[in-house]
Amino acid sequence: MFRKFGVLMGLAILLSACQPSPTFLEPASSISNHEANLYRIILIMALVVFVLVEGALILILVRDRKRANNEKLPAQIHSNMRLEVTWTVIPILLVIVLFIMTVQTVNAVAAPSHLKSDLNIRVVGHRWWWEFDYPDLGIVTANELHIPKGATVQVQLESVDVIHSFWVPQLSGKTDVVPGQHNTMWLTSDQVGEYLGQCAEFCGTEHALMRFKVIVDSQQDFDAWVANQQKPAYQPQTEDEQAGYMEVTGACAACHSLDPSDLNTKKVGPNLAHLFSRSTFAGGTFDLNEENLRSWLADTQAMKPGNDMDIKILPKTRDQIISYLLNLK
Amino acid sequence: MTIQAQGMSHRRELGANGLLSWIMTVDHKRIGILYLFSAFIFFLVGGTEALLMRIQLAQPDNKFLSPEAYNQIFTMHGTTMIFLVVMPLAAGFGNYLVPLMIGARDMAFPKLNALSYWTFLFGGVFMYSSFLFGGAPNDGWFSYAPLTEKLYSPTHGMDFWVMGILMLGLATTIGSINFIVTIIQLRAPGMTLTKIPLFVWTTFVTSFLAVFSLPSLTTAVLLLLLDRQLGAHFYNTAEGGTALLWQHLFWFFGHPEVYILILPAMGIVSMVIPVFSSKPLFGYAAVVFSTIAIGFLGFTVWAHHMFATGMPTVSLLFFSADSFLIGVPTGVKIFAWMGTMWKGKLRFTSPMLFAIGFVALFLIGGLDGIHLAVVPVDWQITDSYYVVAHIHYVLFGGAIFGIFSGIYYWFPKMTGRLLNESLGKWHFWLLFIGMNLVFMPMHVLGIEGMPRRIYTYGPGRGWELWNFVETIGAFIIAVGIALFVINYIVTMLKAPTHEEDPWDGFTLEWTTSSPPPAYNFAEIPSVRSRRPLWDRKHPELADWRNEA
Ligand code: HEC
Ligand SMILES: [Cu+2]
Ligand SMILES: [Cu+2]
Repeated sequence: MFRKFGVLMGLAILLSACQPSPTFLEPASSISNHEANLYRIILIMALVVFVLVEGALILILVRDRKRANNEKLPAQIHSNMRLEVTWTVIPILLVIVLFIMTVQTVNAVAAPSHLKSDLNIRVVGHRWWWEFDYPDLGIVTANELHIPKGATVQVQLESVDVIHSFWVPQLSGKTDVVPGQHNTMWLTSDQVGEYLGQCAEFCGTEHALMRFKVIVDSQQDFDAWVANQQKPAYQPQTEDEQAGYMEVTGACAACHSLDPSDLNTKKVGPNLAHLFSRSTFAGGTFDLNEENLRSWLADTQAMKPGNDMDIKILPKTRDQIISYLLNLK
Repeated sequence: MTIQAQGMSHRRELGANGLLSWIMTVDHKRIGILYLFSAFIFFLVGGTEALLMRIQLAQPDNKFLSPEAYNQIFTMHGTTMIFLVVMPLAAGFGNYLVPLMIGARDMAFPKLNALSYWTFLFGGVFMYSSFLFGGAPNDGWFSYAPLTEKLYSPTHGMDFWVMGILMLGLATTIGSINFIVTIIQLRAPGMTLTKIPLFVWTTFVTSFLAVFSLPSLTTAVLLLLLDRQLGAHFYNTAEGGTALLWQHLFWFFGHPEVYILILPAMGIVSMVIPVFSSKPLFGYAAVVFSTIAIGFLGFTVWAHHMFATGMPTVSLLFFSADSFLIGVPTGVKIFAWMGTMWKGKLRFTSPMLFAIGFVALFLIGGLDGIHLAVVPVDWQITDSYYVVAHIHYVLFGGAIFGIFSGIYYWFPKMTGRLLNESLGKWHFWLLFIGMNLVFMPMHVLGIEGMPRRIYTYGPGRGWELWNFVETIGAFIIAVGIALFVINYIVTMLKAPTHEEDPWDGFTLEWTTSSPPPAYNFAEIPSVRSRRPLWDRKHPELADWRNEA
């Protein structure tokens, strides 16, 4: 009866391998790779102990069950020094091995001090979205972090409100984003691709919708992306766009900046300068397209209840705003 | 039996069955039953909250609960199960059993005992009343600052939580001091330290853990109260406060708390397994020493809950090494229980099934716990569903299974009636299967990147299947619990049989009537070994002849 856990666990892991989950067991960085390897070793050790102990337990249960009419008393054994010492010493040896492996891996994934960082990034946690600053490049974006392939990226983590936690399983384990404290971590990847991340520390109402992704670009794509982000925001051309622009730089500006170099913003909402260079919005929750944007501006609280953008916009103004926003490539 | 006859007449004299008599009681047995009963009601409430969460998470983007509702429910689920269920259930057993097991007539301070119960009940009801006053607490059972500051948690929920925790801490402290004094002072003649029944030992160590760890929680919560009500800035980082101060204070309590929750269940299992194996506990001294070792080590590992907060490497490794060490005494216990069953004469009664379930499931909670002590792996799986799996193997597979074992085992002592055995077995198997369906897949979800405490998740991340399976498992558990409630009602409707010793027990509580008279023992027994009743039944094989 206990063996079926093992089967279940094996099956589950097999199944999980068939679906595209953001799991560190499919690492895209040397950090996660080290962590995954260590995990596998410990999992195997644990499974061996599991099978041995549960197996022994089942053996005892089957063999020593009371048989009918057996009125004989079992031998009254109180202890056995040798046996007890053995099963104290074996676990001690095991944990020493575990500890050595832990130390090795901690060292292996620690920031490589001899390596100069190629790119510095500041991650700022906001309830409930992520600000990504590139101080060296003078640009800022939200919820989608671009890094060039192969680069050693130094990441500084800050929060403007409560504790969040930065977790991209395939690239690195978690580092908490603690207000009043500057934690650092590093990222690197040799695999171009998109990697899902999510806030991992409960941070209030919309903790569940504080997602993001890290996009590992080829150097060429990254440079192109940077060049685009460094351009100023689109200037309105038509009358509608002009009206929308007035809103965005008016009412919306209390919370949103249109200046692509407004780093470490005091504003509570994401930078909109290159909104449509992103594929998702509102904490990486919704696909960014005209339809979703329309429902967002119609009723943000229906889409992401409790978020800090709590405004009412008239339908006509909304259309004008959208006609402008759609150009923020 | 004369003892029983006296007990009955004594109770009749007092006419002691009205509601008032329960409210006024200072009898440790009645207080024990009050604790058990109230905590079980809270268990049903906390379980209902779990079902609501499982319905919400059964499919992606579900709208069954709003985020606000979900956050209140998961907070109250954790707070309830820890502070209003497992701790008071353990206190209930402790109150009922410790004096009986050590051959005493009551606790050292019976009135203090009543105070402790009523403080607990008031604290629990007070916390739940927050639902009527603008919302329950919603920052999780460990309520990290600065999220708990008024700026971020403006409802009164957190104020109710703070006050409730203070009351519950007070109740536990009072109760623990009472246990410590009782166990030191009131043991029957001959019951030296090496002859104390294991459940009494675990209650003893648990009480010390509570007395020494609760001040840290009290401090944490009082500082929060000052922040919220008087505008202090202990955790307010914008004004120079420290966010991590809360975590250190909280986990300095929170980790010993884990042992406060599990040790009493270990004590129960250490009483049940020997009886149904017809053998003494194998390696009594080792089990006692490992309990004490866990008690000490438990105070040195708190920061393993904080590996991701940006600690220096040296601290990481220190707390990691310590956490590994704590696995050793735990392993010793598991082997001791198996050694007890080895070549025994095993009777698979309901209490024994739950005790075996405890051993089988707690082992899993220990093994996946080891993963969390491995720092680099912890960085991946902390705050994910992996942790949720781990705590439930320890606290559901462990503590709750141990407690059900104790309920089936001592129910005849408390009520004079045996619970129905076939319903009991159904109850066990449903819980056993259900809990594995709920919590085993959580390991997988954690590995697949699902963070804990999210009220919803998007499709396409590979999380749908296991979340759905878990919800089914949760309902299987619910059916099991319903069977237990039915079993209780059916049994209580039957006439009592007043069997004194239905399980062929070993310890002093089985030497008096069921239920025992108000004064427990007509004559204070004297003790020569760990199994006084065994000695009486088998004088030629008496323990005191060959106990090491
Ligand atoms: C009270 C402050 C506030 C005001 C005013 C405000 N917003 Fe927002 N907005 C926010 C916040 C906060 C978010 C992030 C919500 C989240 O993801 O939790 C946001 C998100 C957005 C997003 C999604 C951005 C992304 O990349 O995730 C868009 C688009 C947006 N707002 C447009 C507007 C427009 C247009 C206006 C003016 C009509 C406006 N907002 C006014 C606070 C505000
Ligand atoms: Cu967050
Ligand atoms: Cu969060």
